[in-house]
Amino acid sequence: MHADDVVNCHVLVIGSGGAGARAALEASRYGKTVLVSRTLTGKGGCTTMAEGGYNAVLRKLDSCPMHVEDTLRGGAFLNDPALVDVLVHEAPDRMADLIAWGAVFDVTDDREIAQRPFGGQRFPRTCYAGDRTGHEMMATLVERLRGSGVRQLQDTAVIELLKDGNRVTGAAMLDRDGDLIICYADATVLATGGGTRIYDISTNCAAGTGDGFALGYRAGAELIDMEMVQFHPTGAVYPYDARGRLITEAVRGEGGLLLNRDGERFMTRYDPERMELSTRDVVSRSIATEILEGRGTPHGGVYLDVSHLPARTIEERLPVMLEQFLAFGVDIRKEPMEVAPTAHHIMGGLRITPEGQTTLPGLFACGEVTGGVHGANRLGGNALADTQVFGKRAGESAGKEAVRGGTVARSRIEELRAHLDGYYGGTTPPAEIVGRLRLAMWDGAGIFRTEKSLVETGRVIDELAALTPRAAGSQNLLWCRTVENMIVLSRLIVKGALLRPESRGAHVRKDILQDWTPDRSPYMHTYQSLSRAGIETREVQV
Amino acid sequence: MKEMTVRVSRFDPENDTEPHFETYTVSVHEGARVLHVLHVIHDTLDPTLSYRYCCEAGQCGSCSLRVNGEPVLACMQEAKDGMTIEPLNLPVVRDLTVEMEDVLARLAPFPAREEAGLPTKEEIEAMKPLRDCIECLSCVSECPAVDVASFLGPTAMCQEMRIALDPRADQNRIRNAIEEGLFTCTTCQRCRDVCPKNIEIPGKAIEKLREIANRQGLTLPRHQDVARLVEDTGRSVDRTKPTFLEQVPEVIEPDGPVRGEVGFFVGCMYNGRLPETALDMIEVMKRNGIRLIIPHDQVCCGSPLIRTGQTRILPALKKRNIEAFTRRGITTVMTMCAGCGSTLKNDYDTPYTIKDVTEILTEYGIEPPAALDIRATYHDPCHLLRGQGISREPRELLKTVVREFVEMPSRCCGAGGGVRSGLPDQAAALGRQRDDEIKKTHADVVVTVCPFCEFHIADSTDRPVKNICTLLLEGYREKDRKKGVKKESE
Repeated sequence: MHADDVVNCHVLVIGSGGAGARAALEASRYGKTVLVSRTLTGKGGCTTMAEGGYNAVLRKLDSCPMHVEDTLRGGAFLNDPALVDVLVHEAPDRMADLIAWGAVFDVTDDREIAQRPFGGQRFPRTCYAGDRTGHEMMATLVERLRGSGVRQLQDTAVIELLKDGNRVTGAAMLDRDGDLIICYADATVLATGGGTRIYDISTNCAAGTGDGFALGYRAGAELIDMEMVQFHPTGAVYPYDARGRLITEAVRGEGGLLLNRDGERFMTRYDPERMELSTRDVVSRSIATEILEGRGTPHGGVYLDVSHLPARTIEERLPVMLEQFLAFGVDIRKEPMEVAPTAHHIMGGLRITPEGQTTLPGLFACGEVTGGVHGANRLGGNALADTQVFGKRAGESAGKEAVRGGTVARSRIEELRAHLDGYYGGTTPPAEIVGRLRLAMWDGAGIFRTEKSLVETGRVIDELAALTPRAAGSQNLLWCRTVENMIVLSRLIVKGALLRPESRGAHVRKDILQDWTPDRSPYMHTYQSLSRAGIETREVQV
Repeated sequence: MKEMTVRVSRFDPENDTEPHFETYTVSVHEGARVLHVLHVIHDTLDPTLSYRYCCEAGQCGSCSLRVNGEPVLACMQEAKDGMTIEPLNLPVVRDLTVEMEDVLARLAPFPAREEAGLPTKEEIEAMKPLRDCIECLSCVSECPAVDVASFLGPTAMCQEMRIALDPRADQNRIRNAIEEGLFTCTTCQRCRDVCPKNIEIPGKAIEKLREIANRQGLTLPRHQDVARLVEDTGRSVDRTKPTFLEQVPEVIEPDGPVRGEVGFFVGCMYNGRLPETALDMIEVMKRNGIRLIIPHDQVCCGSPLIRTGQTRILPALKKRNIEAFTRRGITTVMTMCAGCGSTLKNDYDTPYTIKDVTEILTEYGIEPPAALDIRATYHDPCHLLRGQGISREPRELLKTVVREFVEMPSRCCGAGGGVRSGLPDQAAALGRQRDDEIKKTHADVVVTVCPFCEFHIADSTDRPVKNICTLLLEGYREKDRKKGVKKESE
C-alpha cells in the first residue's frame, strides 16, 4: 500500500446523492468543502433512481398542517414531530432552490409546478419530472456543483470516521486503487443514504449498503428505529436478476390497479378507502398476503395494470417505466406488470436535531442515513424532500462549525491499515458472505417478523461476522470493508426489531398481540449505540 | 439457469501494456443482463475484474460499455452467449472501467439567473428530451469528431442546448459551445443511434446551436459563403462546368417498355460537381424501364444550410422543391444523394414519397449485370445508413456486379455537417481513417451512394471511388461486350 494522502478541509461531506450534494453546496458557502463520492457524483446513490416525486405544499388548497398530519399518520406517529415540522415547512423553499438552479420539473398549463397524488396523502402534492424526478434533481445539483468551489473526490469511499477524543475530525478513505486517504475536517456530514442491499430483494443501487449507519455506529453515534425498513409494494419480479427493481408509486398515482391472479382488485379487502394509494406498509403487506395465500402470479407477484390508461398518458408520465419494461419484453400499454414487495428505504438512522447534528460533536447527518423524519413508514415523495431540506440544514450547520484543525492518533491509522491488510488473508469470498446475509435478512427480518425469526437471523449474522472477507487485490479492499458494514447494519436492524415489542408501521411482529393503535402506543424510538440500547416509552392517557 | 461463454477485455495498468481478452464460461439466470454476467465473473471466477455500475436500472449511466462493438448499458442489455465485452472508447483505467471524469467535469454548469421564475409548459417540454441524458458517454465513445478534433462530444452539446433553451439561464454560452467543438460535428448521427435514451443530439441540439450561432454572426466563413451561394444561385456549389440539368431533358424515356416512373431530385453535388455519375444513373434507369421526370426548376434541398444552422431561406427552398414536383403530378421522387434523400425524408413534409436510387432499383428489380472481375468494398454514407436506415439495398445491388464483396466497418468519412468545407483538416483526418480501413480490405474499388462521400473519400485514398450506378453501368457494358464477343465468334 502506498503512503497515505492527506486532505484538509473545513467540511467533509460523505456521500454524493441528493442529500450529500445539497449539503456540500451549502457548506461551501462557509469554507473549503470536500465531497466524497464512492462512484462519480451524479451517478451514485439512490436519488438518481428515484422516480415518482417530491412532496411540497405549493397550493392554496393544500396546507402545511395537512402535510404534517399525513406524514405523522403515515409514519405511525413514530416520527420526531420537530423534524417533520422542518421537513414540511422547508420543502417548498428547497423546491424553489432547485427551480432557481435550473431543474426541469413538469409544470401545468397555468405555469405552476405540476403535482400528482401519492399514497397516504390527502392532497396531490407530489411534484415530479416525469418518472425520473430524482434524476432531474441530481442533474440539477451536479450542474450546480460544477460551478461551485466544492472539491469532489470521485471513486473514493470512506471506510472509517476519525476522532480526536469524542469529536469527529475527519475520515479515512480508500481511492479506486485501494490506497488510503486521510481527510481532516472541522466538521463532517454523513450523507451516505440507505442500505437495503442487505436484503435479497431490494430497490437500492449498488451503493445502498448502509455504510453510513456502520460508520456512525462504530464512531459512537446513536441510531434510532433501525428496525423500521420500508418494503416498497411494487418491485419487479422478472427477470430474476432484476428482481426488486423499483416500479414507481407514480404508476398507482396515475391510476394503476393492483390485481391478483384471479383479476380481483384485492385492495378492497385491506384498505377499501384508500385502495391502491394506501400507505406503502399497508399495500406491501396486502400484496405479500395475497402471494402467501396462493393468489399470486406465475412469477410470484401480483399484477399492476395501467393498460386501461391512454397510451399517451403512459408515454408522457411514465416514460422510464415504459422503456424499462419494453427492455424486458413487456409493453405496459397493453399488458400488466408483475410486482411484489421489495426492500426500499431505511426509516431509522442516526439520531439528529433539526440542525442535522448527530449525538457526536463534529458529526452531522442528512438524508436516509438519519432517523426520525419518517417514523415507522415513509410517505412516497417525502424522501426527495428530506434530502434537500436536511441536506441544506446539515451543510449549513457543518459550515458554521468553528475552524479548529483536528488531529488523529497515528496509532488509529496504523490499526486501520492493519485491519485492511487482514483482508488479504481473509477466509471467505465477500460475495458468499453477502449472499447468505441477504437471504437470512429477507427470510427473518423482512415484511413479517417474529422473535424466533429474528433470533435465528441474528445467529446467522454472528456466524457471518466471524468470517473475514477475502481480498484478491487492493481494489477489493473496499468491497471487504463494505461487507463488514452490511453486517453491522443487519445487526442494528435485527436488534432494533427485537427491541420493539409491537407492530407499528413497516415493522410487523406476528408473534405479538397488541391492543393499541399506533397513536396510543406506549413506545417511542428504539435506540442503539456502542454504549446503550433500548426503547423509549411514554405515558399514554387512557 | 443457462450457461454462456463470453470474452471480456482485461487491462491491468500496472502489468499490461495493452488490453487483452479473457474467456469466461458462466451460469446465469434466464433473462440475465450483461451486468449480471460480469457480477458472476467477479463474484465466482475473478474478483479483480473492474467495471462500473450503480443503479442497475438504466438511470445512472455508469455501466456503459461495448458489447460486440456496440455501446450499451450493461444493466439493460440482455446477455448473449458468445458476446465480446469491451470498455467504451475512452481512456481505460482498468478492465472495463474508463475515465469518465475528464468529460463530465467539463460539461457546462447551469448559469442560473436569480428570480427567473418557472419556465412555461412549452419551454419545459422543449428541454425535457435533452434532459433525459444520463451522461453515460456512449456517444462520446463513438463520435468520430471526438476522435480527431478538439470536441468535448455530443453530451456537451446536449447540455449546451439544454441551457440555450432554458429561459432561466442568464448567460449566452454559444461561444463556449463553439469552443467545445460545435462545428466539428459531421452530423453522422452515430451518437443518436447509440444513445440509450434515443436523444437526437445532431438534430435537436447541434444543428439548433448552429442556428443560434448563425443568428449571432458566428457561422464559419466558409459556411457563410455556401449560404450566400445558395441564396444567389439556388445551388450550394458554383458552376465550373456544364451542369447535369443543362445536359438532360425534362423527361427521359427508358429504352424498352415503361415499368415505372419517378421524379428525380438531382442535388447540387451531382448537378454541379459529379454530373457524369448522374448521367451513369440515367443509363441504368433507361436499361431497366424506369422513366425519369427531371423538373429543371428544382433547387438545393437546403441540407448544407440545415446542417450548418443557416435556415433563414430554407422555407423558400422547400416551397420551390415541393412545387417543382407536385406541379408535374409526381408521386415518387428519387434521390441519389444520401444527404438530399435524408433531408427530404426527415426535414421536409412532402406530399410525395421520397426514395433513394437503391430503393427504386431494388423494388423494381434490375436486369442482372455481368460480374466485374474486381473485389469491392462498400462505404455506408451516414445520411443513407442512419439518415434513411438503408444498408441492405446497396449491398445487394453491389453483390450482383462484382466478383467479390468485402465489408469494412461503417464510419463517417468526414465529409458531412459542413466539416469538409469548414474544417478541412479534420475532414482529411477522418478521410485518412477511412483509407486505413479501405487498405485492410484490399479492395480494387470503393463503392458508395453519396456524392459527398464519393468526392471526399476519393481525396483520401488511391483506390477508385464509384457510385453504385456507375458500377452497374460498367457491369452492363461488360455484359454487352461479352455478348458482342460471343456474337462475333459465332
